[in-house]
Formats: sequence, C-alpha cells, structure tokens
Amino acid sequence: MAEAARQRTEVLVVGSGAGGAVTALELAAAGRDVAVLEEGGEHSTDDYGKSSPDAMRLLYRRRGMTPILGQVPLGYVEGACVGGSTEINSGFWHRTPREVLLRWHAQFGLAHAGVDEMAPHFDWAEARLGISKYDGEWPKSTRMFARGIEAMGWAYQEVPRAAPGCRSTNACASGCPIGKKRGMSHALWPTAREKGARLVPHCRVHQLLFERHRCIGVLAEVEVEPGRRVLARIDADHVFVCAGPTETPALLRRSGVKFHVGETLRVHPMLKVAARFPEIVDAHQSVLPLLQVKEFWPDVSLGGAFFTPGHLALGLSDNWPETADRMPRFRNMASYYVAVRGEGRGWVRPSKLGDGATLIHYDVGPGDLKNLSQGLARLCTLLLAAGAEEVLPAVRGMPSITSEDEAIRWLDEPLPKANLSLTTVHAFSSCPIGERSEKCAADSFGKLRRYENLYVNDASVLPDSPGVNPQGSVMAFARRNALHFIDRLS
Amino acid sequence: MSSQSSRRWVTVLGAAVSAVFLWVAVRHIDLGSVKETWRTARPLPWIPLAMAAYVVGHFVRGARLRFLVRREAGLQVTTATNVVVVGYASNNVLPARLGELVRAGMLAERTGIPLTQALTVTFIERLVDGVAILFLLVGASWATHTAGWIAELARVGALVFGVALGGLGLAVFFPAALGALASRLSQPLGRRAHDTAVALVTSVVNGAAVLRRPVDALVIGVLSVVVWLCESAMFVAVLPALGLAPSPGMAVIAMSVTNLGILVPSTPGFVGPFHFFCSQALLAQGVASETALAYAVLVHIAFYVPATVWGAGAMLWYGVEVGATAALARAARRSRGVESVGGVPMQIIAQLAESKKEAEASAFDLALTEAILPPGGSAEVTRDSARFLAGQIAALPTRVRTLYGIGMSVFRFWVRVRYLRSFCGLDLERRRAAVAGWAFGTIAPLRQLFRAPRSTVLLAFYEHPAGLATLGAEERRRLPVATTTPDEAHG
Repeated sequence: MAEAARQRTEVLVVGSGAGGAVTALELAAAGRDVAVLEEGGEHSTDDYGKSSPDAMRLLYRRRGMTPILGQVPLGYVEGACVGGSTEINSGFWHRTPREVLLRWHAQFGLAHAGVDEMAPHFDWAEARLGISKYDGEWPKSTRMFARGIEAMGWAYQEVPRAAPGCRSTNACASGCPIGKKRGMSHALWPTAREKGARLVPHCRVHQLLFERHRCIGVLAEVEVEPGRRVLARIDADHVFVCAGPTETPALLRRSGVKFHVGETLRVHPMLKVAARFPEIVDAHQSVLPLLQVKEFWPDVSLGGAFFTPGHLALGLSDNWPETADRMPRFRNMASYYVAVRGEGRGWVRPSKLGDGATLIHYDVGPGDLKNLSQGLARLCTLLLAAGAEEVLPAVRGMPSITSEDEAIRWLDEPLPKANLSLTTVHAFSSCPIGERSEKCAADSFGKLRRYENLYVNDASVLPDSPGVNPQGSVMAFARRNALHFIDRLS
Repeated sequence: MSSQSSRRWVTVLGAAVSAVFLWVAVRHIDLGSVKETWRTARPLPWIPLAMAAYVVGHFVRGARLRFLVRREAGLQVTTATNVVVVGYASNNVLPARLGELVRAGMLAERTGIPLTQALTVTFIERLVDGVAILFLLVGASWATHTAGWIAELARVGALVFGVALGGLGLAVFFPAALGALASRLSQPLGRRAHDTAVALVTSVVNGAAVLRRPVDALVIGVLSVVVWLCESAMFVAVLPALGLAPSPGMAVIAMSVTNLGILVPSTPGFVGPFHFFCSQALLAQGVASETALAYAVLVHIAFYVPATVWGAGAMLWYGVEVGATAALARAARRSRGVESVGGVPMQIIAQLAESKKEAEASAFDLALTEAILPPGGSAEVTRDSARFLAGQIAALPTRVRTLYGIGMSVFRFWVRVRYLRSFCGLDLERRRAAVAGWAFGTIAPLRQLFRAPRSTVLLAFYEHPAGLATLGAEERRRLPVATTTPDEAHG
C-alpha cells in the first residue's frame, strides 16, 4: 500500500505557463503533492535575448511554425518552455473587463466570476508580477505613437506590464536576458519550488489514461537524462491540463475527451504595419510601443508591435520587390498593429498522422474583416498624423500608404481577404467553462464534464474573447480555479 | 437473455423476414427471363452514374448531420459523411438495422456527445428521412396518377411518421415538461434511476433542440429532400440500363416504396425486402415482372457496393486511430520498473529512440535561399539562412509540410519545363525571376506556397550580424548588453 502511494502523485499539472504555474504554486502552497510536466526545456536568462532564429529554436513551439489554417491563414506562435508563452510575450497586463465578465455570465452561465470575486486574484497576480507602468521616459516609438493619438484626439492608455524596472532591451520576444520581464519561470517558479512543487521539463504528455470516468494518470515521453528518452506512465489522483489554448484541446481529444473540446477556438486576429518617420526612431533598440488606443474597443485595438530588422523584413515580405529598398532606413521605422476582437470561430484537432502535431483552424469572420479594414484606416491616419512619411501594411498589393485620403478608403471598403498577412499571439476559448452544458466543456471552475478528477486551467477556459491581452485573465482564473479545487479537497 | 443469445435471435429473425420477402418477390418470376434481361443490360455509363448520385447523396447527408449537431460539436462534412456511411455500411453487413446503433456510437465517439443524444440525432435523421420520402412519394404519385396499394402505403407511412413526429414535437417544444414528467415518473424508483432517467431525457431534449428554430427545421427539411432526390437520381440512372425510359416519377416512386419497405428490420443489406418492394413499385407502373426484378437487383448493387466499400475504409481509418489510442493505454499497463525523474515517480514503459537531429539544408534550400535573399550577403549568412529555412520547414506539421513539399515539387517541375534546367542548375538571375513569378505573382495559392520560405529566410538574414551589415548599420541590435551589469544579467 505504502509502495503504491509512493508511486502516485497527488496532482499532476500538464504545462507550466500562465495557467500551470499559478495552479502549481497555489496547490504547493496549500501543502499538496504537485508535479508539473513541461514539454519544453528549462532555461536561464543566459539563454534568453538571443536572435529571433535562436529564440525560436529554443523557446517556441515547433520553432514558431504553428500556422492557423483557414480562408486567411494566420501566423501564430506560442512558447514551449518552462513558463510557456509568458517567457516570450510583451508582458502587457489587463484585468478582464467588467462587460466581458458580465457577458460570460449571461452567455455561458459562468458562476462566481464577477468583478469583485475576481479582484483578489488579479491583486495577487499583479503583486507577484510587479505589474507597473514603464518607469522611464517613453521610448521614441511610443512617443511617436502618442503624438499621433493626441493629434486624433482618441482615448488611449499606457498598458501596465509584468516588467518592473524594464531596461528596454527589446528582447521580450526572445526572453528577457536581464530577467526584468517577469515570465512564469522567473516570477512564480522559484516560489513554487520552495513550496515543494516538482518540475519535469522535456516531458511531452501523449495521452491521458482513464478508468471509466476517472483520469488515473498520463502517458508521457520523458527525457530522463540528456540523450535518453523513455515512454512512461505517471499516475496521479488529479490531473490539471494547462498546456495552452491549442495543446490542451489536442491532448484531451487525443485521449478521447471531446465534448465541447477544441470546437470554439477564438483568437485576436492582428494586422501589422511598419511606419517610416523622417527622424531616427531606433525602435530596434527599445521596448515595443507601450500605448494602446482604446477609442474603438472592444472591437478594435491599436498598439505597438515588436520590432527588429528581421521582423521588419518579415512584415515587408508580402511586397518585397517594392519595399525591400526601405530596409536600409530601418532606424527610422517602427511597427504597429491593429488587433480585432475576433468574431470568427475555429477548431483544434490532434493530427492523425502520428507526428504529434496539432491542427489549428480559424475562419476570419466578416465582422473581423470589417474591423481590420477600419482599424487599418485609423491606424494609418494616426501614424501619418504622427509624422510618418509612409505606412507599409502587411497586405499584398498595398506596399505603401502615404496620405490620409488613401488610408480612409478602408473605412468603407473591406480589405482584400486573399491579400492579408495576419498574425496572432492571443488564442483562447478552446475548452470554455461555465454552467451551460450545451456549450461549455467544463464547469465554472474548470472541471471537465463527466470526469471526476480532470481539470483544465489555462487560456483555453476563457469562454470567449476577452478583447484584451489575455495573460491577466488566464492567471486570475487559474488561481480562482486552483483555490476552489483546494477548498473542495479539504 | 445473454447478449450472445439476443444477437442470435436478431439474426434469425432478420433472416426469416428476408427469406419471406425474397420468396414473395421471385415466386412467380421466370428466372431465365431475368437472366436474359441482365445479359442485354447496358451497365455503362448508367450504373457508375447511379453510384455517383448515391455518393453525392451521402455528402448531403453528411452536411445535414453536421448541421444537426453543430450546437454541440464542430464536425467537418467529411467526418460527418463518414459517420453516415459507416452506418449504411454496417446496415449492409449487420442484420436488423443494427447499423443505426453503429452510426450513433461513432457519432458519439467522434463528437463526445452522449450516446443517448447521438441516438436521438440518428432518430431525427431517420424521421425527417421518412417525412421527406413521403413528401416525394405523394408528389410523384400525384404527378403520375399512381394509386392503389402505393397510395395506401403512403397513408400508413404518414400515420406512422405523424405519430413519431408528434413525440418528437414534445421534446422540441415542451422540453421542461418532458423533463418534469421523467423526473416525477422515475422518482419512486430511487435516486440513481431518477438521475439516469433525467439525464436520458436531457440528452434527448438536447438532441431535438436543433428543430426548435423554424429556420433550422426548414434547412434540415430541405437538405432531407435533396438527399432523397439524389437517391431518386440513382433510381433514375438505372432505368436506361435496362432499356426503360428514364422517368423521374417512376424512379421517385420506386425509391420511396423501396426505402419505406426496408424500414422493416431484416438481413444484412436488406436482401429480400429491397428487391421485393423495388420490383413491386415498378410492377405497379406497368413494368414486366422479370425486368422489375432485374432492375431491383441492379439498383441494389448501386446501393450496396459504394456504401459498403467506403464504410469499410472509413471504419478501418477510424479503427486504426481509436485502436492506436487504446493500444497506448494498454501499453501503459506494462511497466518495466519505476524511476524517479525530478522527484516524480514514473513507471517506465519503453525506451525510445533518440530525437531527430537538426535538419540540414539541401541544395534546393540553398538555391532557393539565394534566390530570395537580397544581394550582398556573405556565403555564411546565406548558408545559415538556408539551414534555418530547412529547420523551420521540418518543424511544420506533417500535413502542412507535405503540402509544401508537393507545391515545391510542382514549382521545380515548372522550372524544368520553363527553363529546361533544374532550379539548382539555373543562374542566380533566372532563379530570382522564377521565384519572384510565384512568390509575388497574382495567383494566391502560389504566393502562399512561398510565404514560409520568403519570410523565414528574410527573418534569418536580417537577424544575422552579416545580414544586418548589408544595411550599413553602424550599431548592432544588442545595444543594452553594454549597459547591463552582471548582477542584472543574472536576475
């Protein structure tokens, strides 16, 4: 009996990102026996801040090659390392807006998730991550953006970030080399370990194992030492799947859990532009622009994007014959985006070809196209008002917009769908939670329907688009759900 | 009664029903004449056409099933069609319409919806099928002035389906009342039975909810009529094969009567009832009995073969997938010892091969990279960019990578035809022209094909110090390194 007890873990957490790290920390702090299985590796800050190709090899899922297919393919990336996508995002922080919580309650029957009920969880996460505004003079790319917003008279905000003391290394997307941006590996893992949580990196979970309606553990491929990989069964009393918005539904479906799983993927489709200013901006040497235009929220947000010469070339590549000659002036350029709430719908499926890949599909909705078109018109107008000589959108056949007249055309006309190069870094809602069983995979606290001890607790649980950067919502919901689980256990 | 014994009885009963119908169908027929009719038949192109119409009908059934469950699951049309066809194929090899259970089971497995709900959906499909068939039968009878026992059959069918529709209407329009009724009736049986009954009724109500909106009900109705028009097309297409005029009215009546007739559970593939009802429908319209039976046999072949072959293939495909999952779960039971990894106890199942090494750039990758990159880069940056490209392409999901590989093969073939040389054998200028024609041309799929290599190669090039140097930049990207103290660098 004692032998059997030693061979089981009380709670297995699959994934160590914003959802998994919070879950592990809270469970460990409550004295629970917790182990976290992470597909990617564990890295120190010495490994961070490398060039984009190196960072993609090291920190990104499938080296950043996880396209979302559909009528308009979307470039999509997520982290695959200890800390997950929090290691490679910009650290922007938003609380879930009140109207979104109200909508989730009305449409999904999401219980106990009002503003007041969520507030302590946001407070906790904000304290852990040191959420704050930039504490120096805004970088030039931000100042240019502010100039444009003020010229237009639109509402905006400087977005707080999980990067106290940010030194503007412009390495958010390749891991902060000085540890100022507080990804989960830096902000939560040390404490979680102190509290007793154990972490197994390079451990890819293939399948959940069941006995009737009870998950009894997982089957995983583990690198037990460098160069030695084994297939292992890891037994557990409870399992939290926190592998992210695409891998969580893929794992569940691969394991036969399909009810409302992976059917309702939502994303924030994003269209990037590069703006060329007469003066030197040196956006490649500073943190990305810190402001977001809120005038058109929740349908449309305008903001600043990560910028390096390589990313600039990537953005210009749709019209490369016409735009390649802008590259030598990269110091005068910066990147911005228009992001829309995402009215389309997608799905996630495990590949049937045995390659362990996940197939992701999303159809950009007509509302998305309209919002992207109008958003592009407004963003270009803003940047031209800020003094940009031209704006170069990632739209084939539209190499450069140099006047407001050209820009406002897109207020009334839809952009040509086939010519868009869209991206996204925000995906969610692939296993929505709520009490409405006809549309939710799990109850209001992430327990999967029909299973006694199986939970989801990451971005996939958000019932639909939060309309803002989702890290805050993911962490707050993860803590709420973890504490509820602990309460139930006790 | 044990399940084995039940199965035996079902089989025996089905065989008996079939035998009776078969005997009734052939008892007065000169089988020699039937043989002669087949000998003079012209199967081409009519039988393949009939099969094609039948297959199209299955895709429409798939679209209808997808629509029926869309609130609960995002089935693709191909998957939904496979579910339908597996049901048909199972009916072709199992007695007593057991295929309906297989179909519901597969629907539940593919979507995760409860089996009772899947059964409800299957029941709804069959019900609207019945109504659509009756609708077509009444229309065709009226158009062809057919009366007698066929009109009687339509009346009986209307009564049966009317009652069933009424029952379904309860679930559609009075779900709460139905739930309350189930709860009240099952309460005396104990909590467990009560909960089971309520869960069952909830599943049925959820399955039926799709008919609540009139527009949705209309869509399902229209799709059902299209399904049976496709099946009628199969019946029409076989008529000329036996020298009969391709009369749509006759075909619709034959289709309707046959399908109402095979609602009777019988042997696998409805051998017997199918032939009886089909030939009787033609006899009623003045076709000779030998020709009518020959026609029934040919239509049955067009009905039986495609669904059975397709269904067997689909079952094999999904069986392999489900079997692989089950095999992994079984393998997980065979432990070869316990190890602790990072303090976590694990039962070791098997040692695995080493991970694949980093993909190396091929000569084509290198030639393609050179053609995409701007001039002025060193050999080193070109090589590194090509290696990055190879690694990125290798990282793509197999399905996408395969499509990319096929696309690039077409491109290389096109280059060979266009320039009479291989892509790698072309000079740089021509390689650039060939790539530009596809990567920046007007055909969207060709542009999409080059999107991955174009963007990855440019990203790698301008992230490389040597690539950056081609821009004449005075400073390198990593300015903050100089301003970072060792303490900060280590957090």
